[in-house]
Order: sequence, then C-alpha cells, then structure tokens
Amino acid sequence: MTLANLRDLYQQVILERYKKPKHRGVTAPVHRLQRGHNPSCGDTIELTVQLNEAGDRIEDVKFEGEGCAIAMASADLMAEAMRGKSTDEALEMVQRFQSMMQGNAEFPTEQRKLNVMQGVSQFPVRIKCATLTWHTLKAALESSNEPQPVGFVSNE
Amino acid sequence: MTIIQEKTIAVKVRSDFPILHQQIHGKPLVYLDNAATSQKPIAVLDALRHYYEFDNANVHRGVHTLSSRATDSYEGARDKVAAFVNAASRQEIVYTRNATEAINLVAYSWGSTLKSGDEIILSVMEHHSNLIPWQMLAQRTGAVLKFVGLTETEEFDFEQFKSLLSDKTKIVSVVHVSNTLGCINPAKEICAEAHRHGAKVLIDACQSLPHMAIDVQDMDCDWLVGSGHKMCAPTGIGFLYGKLDLLRSMPPFLGGGEMIADVFLDHATYADLPHKFEAGTPAIAEAIGLGAAVDYLTNIGMDKIHAYEEELTAYLFHKLKEIPELHIYGPQPNADGSGRTALAAFTAGDVHPHDLSTILDQAGVAIRAGHHCTQPLHRHLKAQSTARASLYFYNTREEIDVFIASLKEAVEFFGGIFG
Repeated sequence: MTLANLRDLYQQVILERYKKPKHRGVTAPVHRLQRGHNPSCGDTIELTVQLNEAGDRIEDVKFEGEGCAIAMASADLMAEAMRGKSTDEALEMVQRFQSMMQGNAEFPTEQRKLNVMQGVSQFPVRIKCATLTWHTLKAALESSNEPQPVGFVSNE
Repeated sequence: MTIIQEKTIAVKVRSDFPILHQQIHGKPLVYLDNAATSQKPIAVLDALRHYYEFDNANVHRGVHTLSSRATDSYEGARDKVAAFVNAASRQEIVYTRNATEAINLVAYSWGSTLKSGDEIILSVMEHHSNLIPWQMLAQRTGAVLKFVGLTETEEFDFEQFKSLLSDKTKIVSVVHVSNTLGCINPAKEICAEAHRHGAKVLIDACQSLPHMAIDVQDMDCDWLVGSGHKMCAPTGIGFLYGKLDLLRSMPPFLGGGEMIADVFLDHATYADLPHKFEAGTPAIAEAIGLGAAVDYLTNIGMDKIHAYEEELTAYLFHKLKEIPELHIYGPQPNADGSGRTALAAFTAGDVHPHDLSTILDQAGVAIRAGHHCTQPLHRHLKAQSTARASLYFYNTREEIDVFIASLKEAVEFFGGIFG
C-alpha cells in the first residue's frame, strides 16, 4: 500500500476533524438551511447559516449529516473558515476551493488550514466528497431569505 | 482451509481475462466488484470483433449475405440464452438493454391491465430497478405496493410473504439473489405460493444467473430478467424470459421497426414473438457477445462455477472473521460455503466505506462502496452505506488474502484515531 499517498489524502487534521468535528450542530438562529447530497453514494449534509442583521455577513455555519472522512472534514473546516466572512467573500472562497480541487489554486496564509484538503485533488473520484459541503453553502447563500430548505442540491 | 477447485477453475480461466493482468498503483489488480459488473473473457471480445470485422449488417432486413450472417448470429445467441435458462421456446427470450429495461417492459405492458386496489408484492431488498418501475405503475393505476421484510438472519421472510398474499395480489416481483445481503431467495417456493393465489411472479436473476444454473421451467416463474454484463457479456444487452402465452397476451412496449407485421398509415399489426418486443435496430454485436458469454460459461459448467464459488465463500467468511471491527450483512454461509453467494457487504466501525474503498484501491483492490442501488434496504439495515466485496469464478484464494490484508491495514490506519 502506498502509504505516502494516503497520508497526503488523509492528513492528521482531516482524520481529527472527522473524529471530533468542532462545528457539528445547528446555528441559532437559522437564517439559511440547505441540504445537499451525493446521490451516487448517499452522503448527505445539512448546513445552517447565521447571518448578521444586514444579511451580508456570515456569523456562524454549522453542519449535520453523514459521510466519509473527506466530506465531513471538509464541512467542518469550511464552517470554521466562514465565520465573519461577507457573503461575497464566502462565494469567492467556494470558487477558490473548487479551483484547488482541480489543482489550480490554494488559500492564502490566513485561510491556510483549508489547504490540507489539497491532497484530494490527487484522487479525482473523491473530489465530489470534498466539494459537497461547498456546493451546499453556495446554494444556501444564493437562496432567498428563507430558513426553509428548497429541496436538495446535488453535486452530480 | 483448503480450496480444492481453484486449480481446475480460477487458475485455468485467468488467462482468458486480459484485464485482470495489470497493476493498479503498482500492485496487481484484485477485482472484487463483480456484482456491479463482471470482466469479459477473450472469447466474448473476439465475438464482438469478429462480428464487426466480418459480419456487420442490420438484422432481419436484407437478403444479402452479411445481413443473413448477422441475423443468424443474433438469433443463434437467442437459442443459447434460451438453452442456458432452459426456456421451453426460443420465442420466450426477448432481448433488452438490461434487466432494468426488461422489468420496465413488464411493468408497462402487462402492468397496463392493473386496476386501483390491485396489489404488487416486492421485498425491502430490491434493487432500485425492481422498485421504481412498480412505484411508477402504482402511481399510474392506483395499485398498492406491499413489501416482504427480513428475518432475523437478514433473509427473505417467507412466512410474512405468505401472509401478504391474497386474491388482490396480481404480481410478485422479487430478487433471486440480493446484491447486498448475498442471500439466495427461495424462488421456486415463492412462485408456487404466488400461483396458488393466481398472482404472476417476476424473478430478478441478475445476481444468480452469473453464478448458478437457472431452470425457468423448474422454477415456474412467469418472467425472469437478467443483465448480460454481470455474466461475462458486454454492457447494453440483457433479456426478458416470459412464458409464451403470457408474452403473447401482453401489448407491445416500444413501437417502431422490427416489431411489426403490416404497417398502414393509421394502424399496424405486430410481429410474432419475440420480435413484438424488440422495436428498432437492436444491440446486435452485444447480443452475439451475450451468446459467446453463455457458451463460455456453459463450457466451464455452471455447476462447477457454483461449487467453486461456494469454496470461495467459505474461505472469504472464514478470513473476514479475523477482523472483529467488521459488521457483515446477510446470512452466514454454512461451513461448506453454501447458503449464500460469494459476496460480502460490510461496515468497519466508524470507517466510512468510501474511505475504505480509496485505501483498498491503493493496494490494487477494487471493491464497491455506497448503497449499491438498494437505498431502502440500507435504510432498513440502518446503514447509510456499506462496502462490498463480490467474487467471481476467476478470483483466487490469494486474492482474498490480499483483500483481507489491505482491509486490516485500512482498519488499522483509521483505528489509530478511533482507538
């Protein structure tokens, strides 16, 4: 087994976040609620977002759901990185994460924790696992001002 | 534990499968995803190539030599499939794209006679392909779906099945071998019970046809469906077996060329069986490939394949016991490996099946991770997804050892954090 490759994919941070996530739960209050799923494997995620009064800045993101280590660690790290970001900044980060999965970008120093996900780009079939939560956040931020989920977003 | 038949089966046939002789991430490929699709022997690849190199023409349409050869090969393959399942007549074999299309054919054609309140019995272990067409039929007609559950050993609950049957039951459509539980359902007894209530029976034989001898007359099913690609044939070809009188009574499914007798601008008469159900230019090469696959399997012998796979099952389950973290679904095999098929769907503690599969892939081992198109069953088992290793007659004891060793490594790799 090529353990080096696997260590690259399953960095300690990813394994720790999978085992002991810091941002599981539901925000209070819930300003956005969005469910996402990966129909090919059945992984699901439910994101809740708390916004500021103006509705243009993220105060908190939490997630619930079931999935693999990559999907769950990605959600936990994303939730952490999103605190205090404007919705525009958040959407820019979604794009950057997708570029990183294609091997074309990484995050700047202040968001460098997210770069532990870079190893996933070497495992094309697992990119969907990592991006599920980011697709779901994008849909949450772009949805109308309703704390009700509008169906599922899918990354198929 | 000894595996007696390895030398006479697996060792002999492996050279027939070029795809098996390659390295994945620097390790020899161990292909254990046969329930998803099997590999194809040279005999099948040669049949495809020969057809396109020498015989390619449309079937049933020309008087020229190539068309005649193509038609002979295409229809010859039907004879082979008919013999393979011991159909009473070659007209009882309808080519379809796969088992899914065959089930849809029955649900649309025969299903159009159903009325509100009629009952359809399925089981909770059905593949989505044997659920959705019936859900759609129920929505169209007002028919009611009933479901057979599982026993304590996670097998088909035959007693509950009997209690669901009534004069309202019009059809029972159930899987022969579960692609997740590996259990072998009592198809013959299911048919007998259903017939006592005047209900028809469709058997989904996708996971049994590749592994054991099937006799539709002995089973007495009304329909039986299979997918070629799981039994050494190409993708894009499957078949529907149906009792002759029943198929005759059913209206056509798809309309078009090939399925007609006489066509006028405003009406048409239909061709006799099996062509009534084969509209349009069919998958000719694939059907010929299916014929070659049937020949290949028959030459080895389905009973021999089944007997060897029982040995593999016994060894697989013996070795899986070495990993206490595993939870395996479905019944345990008997000591001789009988009683279930050579596949194991399992979870490994908190290690997600996707993560397991990625780690095993690094060791060259191909397994399936996910819900295997049995989401309701997974919900029933309270498993979001499972990993599944599924074997075929070209797999060896050594491959099981590689699988078990890499599975142990994967569990250890994650075990560090889950302690």
